[in-house]
Amino acid sequence: MLRYLQQRFIAALITLFGITIIVFAILRMLPGDPARVIAGLLATQEDVERLRVQLGLDQPMLIQYANFLGNLLRGDLGISARTSQPVLDEVMARLPATMQLAVVSMLIAALIGIPVGVIAATRRNSILDYILSIITLFGVSMPVYWLGLMLIVIFAVNLQLLPAAGNEKIESLILPSLTLAAFSIALIARMTRSSMLEVLHQDYVRTARAKGLRERGVVFRHALQNAFIPVITVLGLQFGTLLGGAVLTESVFGWPGIGLLMLDSIFARDYPVVQGVVFIFAAMFIGLNVAVDVLYAYIDPRIHYG
Amino acid sequence: MFRFAQPFTRVMLLLALVVLAVACAAPTAAPTSAPPTKAPVATSAPAPAATTAPAATAVPATKAPDPTKPAAAATNFRIAIGVDMDTLDPAGQTTTTVSNVVDYSAETLVTIDEKGETQPLLAKSWDVSKDGLTYTFVLQSGVKFHDGKAFDANAAKMNIERILDPDVKVGTRGPFMSIGKVEAVDASTVRITLKTPFPALLQAFSMTTSGMLSPTLIEKTAATYKNITQPTGTGPYVLKEYTKGAQLVFAKNADYWGKKPYYDTVTIRIVPEAATRESLLLANQVDAIILPPISDVPALQRNSAVKVITAPSNRIIFISINNTVKGLDNPKVRQALNYAVDKEAIIKSVMFSAGYELDAPMAPSLFGYCKVGSYAYDVNKAKALLKEANITAPLKLAFISPTGRYVQDFQASQAVAGYLKEVGVETDLKTMDWPSYVATITKPVAENTTNLHLLGWAPGFLDASQQMTFFSISQHVPKGLATHFYTNADVDKKIQAADAEIDAKKRAELYCDINKTIWNEAPVIFLWNQAFPIVHSAKVKNVTFRPNEKFYAIYAEPAN
Repeated sequence: MLRYLQQRFIAALITLFGITIIVFAILRMLPGDPARVIAGLLATQEDVERLRVQLGLDQPMLIQYANFLGNLLRGDLGISARTSQPVLDEVMARLPATMQLAVVSMLIAALIGIPVGVIAATRRNSILDYILSIITLFGVSMPVYWLGLMLIVIFAVNLQLLPAAGNEKIESLILPSLTLAAFSIALIARMTRSSMLEVLHQDYVRTARAKGLRERGVVFRHALQNAFIPVITVLGLQFGTLLGGAVLTESVFGWPGIGLLMLDSIFARDYPVVQGVVFIFAAMFIGLNVAVDVLYAYIDPRIHYG
Repeated sequence: MFRFAQPFTRVMLLLALVVLAVACAAPTAAPTSAPPTKAPVATSAPAPAATTAPAATAVPATKAPDPTKPAAAATNFRIAIGVDMDTLDPAGQTTTTVSNVVDYSAETLVTIDEKGETQPLLAKSWDVSKDGLTYTFVLQSGVKFHDGKAFDANAAKMNIERILDPDVKVGTRGPFMSIGKVEAVDASTVRITLKTPFPALLQAFSMTTSGMLSPTLIEKTAATYKNITQPTGTGPYVLKEYTKGAQLVFAKNADYWGKKPYYDTVTIRIVPEAATRESLLLANQVDAIILPPISDVPALQRNSAVKVITAPSNRIIFISINNTVKGLDNPKVRQALNYAVDKEAIIKSVMFSAGYELDAPMAPSLFGYCKVGSYAYDVNKAKALLKEANITAPLKLAFISPTGRYVQDFQASQAVAGYLKEVGVETDLKTMDWPSYVATITKPVAENTTNLHLLGWAPGFLDASQQMTFFSISQHVPKGLATHFYTNADVDKKIQAADAEIDAKKRAELYCDINKTIWNEAPVIFLWNQAFPIVHSAKVKNVTFRPNEKFYAIYAEPAN
């Protein structure tokens, strides 16, 4: 196990190094002059030039990259071109809100999605299965933007029950996390259903039934355990997506997370912040993947690393 | 047999625990609305060098409310805006709405009223010498910064000198570049000597850029000199808390020198999505918003629970024409393009009436504006002009437009393209993100491939000189932002003369004359003066505007 983790760690470092190159290159391939965008349309040419020097954008590309990498190795993500604040501060000010939203949405998705999938699988081809299939189909195809606004209109404007935006109250979490979870619920339910259906036809399930186990025992102890591996994979990937893909939800609900910071920074061509956020996300995503792999071994004793 | 149940349950339990932990760690630190009952908080404590601002930073209040008074429920005014703060340093301002927020805390020497006229603020009077080279400001007395420091001539001098310091990131330094020397004559008199006459300087001092901050922050040796994160000014409200991406909370400045506002606190919420801002207002979760979804403006106007203000702004919207392209270099062709577009119809159906058709090359709120004409929709006239210019084959033009930068920008461009087609001008309209757009339209003439592009121009302050730079040869891109390459040496000379004319009446006449020439030569397709919609609950009053895309709600109060 330890050796495996070691290997994964080295692979992660190489991946991250590759990511720094890709982000750096892609950002600079984008059209648009950061100095002009940040200085504003009314700034004089002299001020734009001065800003360009201050931001280090007058330096050759390779030097810029070397500076970026050198600072990164010292744990310094640089200074935001737009706000003049350290990138790490900008990110850390918003990361908790994004994490909170992603984790709660993930939990909602798992707690609803898995049972729905199990029910649909065990009642295969019943009316209930069809109804659940249709609902989950809606879930995967509904635009986040539209769903979010609908929830706001119903629960905040018409019923006056919940906050329409912001994150200062605990109940502020409800609408955005439901919105963000909708897609994942549907995906997890569909994944669980198909995975369960496969397993329910296995011999050991028939054996379990034959020896007289109650259906509930068969489903939960024998089938679900074995159907769980693909579901865990989806859960892990979805969590990564939730962390990074919350831009629309954050925008609709004015949720002060990373997604909005990223958007503002891309539009301002704030290279240091975009680089920093992508790097941190990449690191988190890789960490998450390792965690999921370790979880496999934990859930399925047949899986060994080493 | 039981092996399974355990891990599965454990995984779910683990998940649940993580969620619980995260949920509990939620930034639930909503600002306590009860006024502090403690004794006055350190009046002398300056704002710390808060360079490492975490989620929220706070400034100590100058004084707690009088503890002997019965603690009435604190009143809070809530307004939702669309953009997060890039900088709270007045000097660094480039975004009007951010300046609007900074204005709660930092005040300028002069300000503007609803009509755009210059009014005293921190300077109670001023005098301009006959040669226009010396400005003498007499400052209000008894004014204190939020940290207790007195506002005096020295403080004003330091602030003005800071704007001129090339080491400081200043968004709009241009209007102050004529300043040669700043002197504190006595405690309440500042004298500014110019290198060259610049009659618009007084107006320039209404820009948030010149907002006055406490000397403690801007002392050259202070750590905050270049990077200010706390607008410790003299304003009616003190910034108490700023949660990035979420909100700013201001508390009433108990020591404010001027008329005291009604609300104890003001919460400015950052909500990027226009439809959500509208919902917040309709759900009674905020008292006012700016920029609702423009298509909802008619419905909001019919709703008796809210009031809609379609404030005129200083921003003009136009289609810039590349005046160097063959065909487009003929004023007749450019006039034809102007006649070809039905501005009135577009304003009504595409802009939801959030615009006022232009009748001059600048907004009416500017000094130097005069009504000069109209290009009333006339297809026949457009066609006749094209014929006169010997345009026989259909003109094929490259047309680009931003999306979401200005009110209904891309939709309006589509409508314009439709009208142009009617007179035989074919365009291939494309859109792109803003930074790419700016990069495209600011290419030097040899590489500039666009023929038409939609653009908005909001002068830094309400003086014709700030609009005229757009028509000056020296400002052709990439040097400036004159993206049309309109070249008229005579106009250029007249602009320079008007910009330097000290006699206000003469100056206005000079600008009026230039307006006429520019209007007739039509370097752009003149569209409209964009409105700035503000919507507030009918339960509050005194929410108003300034004609430079700012809301003005400092003196808001309950309607009854």
